[in-house]
Amino acid sequence: MDPMLTFLVILIGMYGLSTSKNIIKSVFSVTIIESGVILLFLNLGNWQGGSIPIINGAADLIADPLPQALMITTIVIGSTVTALALMLCIKVFHHYGTVEWREILRRGEGK
Amino acid sequence: MHFIPVYLIFVPVLAALFIYVFKSRHMNWLALAAQAVLTVLLVLYYREFSGQYENTLIVFGGWNDRIGISLVNDEISMSFMFLTVFSWWMVLIYTFEQGKTNHNFLFFLMFLEGVFLALLQTNDLFNMFVFIELLSILVAVLIAFKKTGDAFRAGLYYLVISKAAMMMFLLSIILVYNSFGTINILLVREAMQSTDSLTVVRLSYVLFMVAVMVKSAFVPLYSWLPRAHGVAESGISALLSGLVVKGGLYLFIRLNQMYEYANLNYADFFYWIGALTAVVGVMFALSQKDMKQILAYHTISQIGIVMMGLSKLHDPDMFIGGFLHIFNHALFKSLLFLGAGVIISAYRTKKVTDIRGVMRTMPFVSVFMIIGMLSITGAPFFNGFISKSIIKYGIVDSGIRYWILFVVNIGTATSFIKMSQIFFGPKTMTIRIRKPLKNFALMSLAFACVMLGNFYIPISEGFFGFRVQYIDIGTWANFFDYFLALTIGYVFYRFVIAPDPVPVRYIREHKMTFQQANYLFVVMIVVLLTVFVWW
Amino acid sequence: MIKHVILIAMLLAIYAVFTVSLQDLEQIYQTSADYFREFGVDQTGSNNLVTAILLDYRLFDSLFEAGILLIAVSGIIWISKHDIEEKNARFMLDKFKTPDLFVTFSRLVYPLMLAFGFYIIINGHVSPGGGFQGGAIVATAILILYYIDADKETNIGMIVTVEKFLYLTILIIASLSIFTRGTFFTNVFPYETSSTSTQVIYLVTLNILIGFKVALGLWAIFTAFLKEGR
Repeated sequence: MDPMLTFLVILIGMYGLSTSKNIIKSVFSVTIIESGVILLFLNLGNWQGGSIPIINGAADLIADPLPQALMITTIVIGSTVTALALMLCIKVFHHYGTVEWREILRRGEGK
Repeated sequence: MHFIPVYLIFVPVLAALFIYVFKSRHMNWLALAAQAVLTVLLVLYYREFSGQYENTLIVFGGWNDRIGISLVNDEISMSFMFLTVFSWWMVLIYTFEQGKTNHNFLFFLMFLEGVFLALLQTNDLFNMFVFIELLSILVAVLIAFKKTGDAFRAGLYYLVISKAAMMMFLLSIILVYNSFGTINILLVREAMQSTDSLTVVRLSYVLFMVAVMVKSAFVPLYSWLPRAHGVAESGISALLSGLVVKGGLYLFIRLNQMYEYANLNYADFFYWIGALTAVVGVMFALSQKDMKQILAYHTISQIGIVMMGLSKLHDPDMFIGGFLHIFNHALFKSLLFLGAGVIISAYRTKKVTDIRGVMRTMPFVSVFMIIGMLSITGAPFFNGFISKSIIKYGIVDSGIRYWILFVVNIGTATSFIKMSQIFFGPKTMTIRIRKPLKNFALMSLAFACVMLGNFYIPISEGFFGFRVQYIDIGTWANFFDYFLALTIGYVFYRFVIAPDPVPVRYIREHKMTFQQANYLFVVMIVVLLTVFVWW
Repeated sequence: MIKHVILIAMLLAIYAVFTVSLQDLEQIYQTSADYFREFGVDQTGSNNLVTAILLDYRLFDSLFEAGILLIAVSGIIWISKHDIEEKNARFMLDKFKTPDLFVTFSRLVYPLMLAFGFYIIINGHVSPGGGFQGGAIVATAILILYYIDADKETNIGMIVTVEKFLYLTILIIASLSIFTRGTFFTNVFPYETSSTSTQVIYLVTLNILIGFKVALGLWAIFTAFLKEGR
């Protein structure tokens, strides 16, 4: 895929983040941004083409392994943050009975 | 000796793990023991390396430093580390009695210390990203620690918004990596010299700065901070407001050092962002009635003042002013939050208008609170005065900039005059709780505030390595300025704020929605792009 | 409506800047692939260069990556503990019965998935995979167990304690190299003197530990969510 196309994924996520009124949708929008970033990094790591970064015998052109390693870290981080955010969503729902940002933020402190 | 930075990171982390695994009452002492070890190590490290920071580079695994992860220290990170360890001492002492039943709390707290120390020392962009994400998760958990609806809401808000910001940070790392072939900050900095005007470098700068602006709560991306710091437990609020927000400012310093050779003229832009942040923070603080909300909004305004100083990275005096203000703010804001925590837990309300007679009921706490208030309003002989004066001297010639600082001072004075109404009034019967350790923590912080306010010349020369002899406390002009600000503040409070007119109420009721916050996030990216790429 | 139009315009502006900077990037494009191709296998003993980076060149990152999982697990478990104040909490029992066909297939697939996960973990240094990926697969296999037996009870405190001990062990093994090579967070066996097959011992050990740690961590997260649903 083209880097230009993957950047569109990030923009879609940003659009979702600034328009969605639902907590779950916001969390998913952030996940979409994250997927876009991960795809972009992997794309740019393999911009000039090349085989997988596993050396068995002689290889002349390989994809850059560093982005792939960094992106594994990012995926793990992303999944844990999403899990924590969803658990907080459940708790917020239990306390307020809704998952709409507007409703939740309108309630005063201490209720 | 050479590996002390590694021990500094892993001593608190290991202590946290042991506290979690052995859920014994005596494990609380382990936290204090780890803290003592940390202090000794830090002092040893400082004695070994002060003045020769070029030898502090550690590359893990002994690999080529283009590939491996490295740690490096300089004056800035060194002084930040001392501040970190000091703040943790205070918060650990303050929360010691609560901690007896709560191992989870100490686990997160100690882990946070290790992560923060690691963030200060790292020399690798991706490593930095990992630590900031770890920091966000820990902070979100600590905010939600009370398990009330407010706390969950604030934690979620913070987590989602900071995650979005960190994705921009990561995007920027990608651009830097593919432009320079490395993510080692020192190497990237040197490589910048040859590629000053490329769009890709500028875009990466913009994305880094947007992330930093969210993490350190600049206007207009501040909306998470009052929610988060207002609902957390007082010890946590003190830590977040005093220190963890400064992590964002530390990133600002580090990243701007990295882009030093890229020929980006950012000083003016960030100066005005800082001024705007200071003014807006004070404006919101004036309208609030909740004690912790007032303090949280003042954190925003003080960050603005720090930013006014830090934006002049190449003008040593202004930079020093901002840098010192980070330390002074950490001291007095921790003091105020911890003191407020004691008062709130005794009176069981956060409303400034409902609390009366603190002076008679809790004389010690009131004295310490008053020291904190004098510091934050910039009274001579207290530490806030020193750093504010350095910043003031830097801009005294340029009319409007000086007046903005003056307006912010008046606003700060007004809002603390409003807060000081809690001291007056008859003695009220409150729940009597004896808390010697809490008083001890407050006393140490108040003592530090007074010390820094009076012996600033030897402290700043010996510790940070710069000379501030030109600040003179005793002149009449300073007292006149301060009392003028107090008088205007009192009049302003008496006739404008106290009657609670409609505009004040409107500002208080105004709460930014989540979409608006993110909309402003996109707007801010475009504004920064306009300033740094097209201009 | 007008806000949406402005938003889209702003996003398009960002896109335009990115397009321009991509052209710049094409001129100065650099990677470090050459370094890894040349030295990667010799220095780390791992044919899979991604594993080489995760477990050797950037082991410090991976340690804290595992640390993030640890924190998230403890945080989620702390948050999910119930207290009395939750007025809206409705404890819904799972009314839907899992279809028999699904249960049967789950029984068939479960051992295969477990074996595949272990394969990925153990062969992380020669083929695509490693501790984190394999651990996720093992955790998914464990999740399938809940389809087979919905009322399965798990001792969550036990899992979390074992996870903490595994993390400690990972930290100790990662820092052992201070004794053999005089530096932290790399292979215990120095690459100058030991053969590739010796170095592999370290890689496999670390991969297995990380794999188990990740699997246990994700399992704990699932359990916390399932308890929330019950």
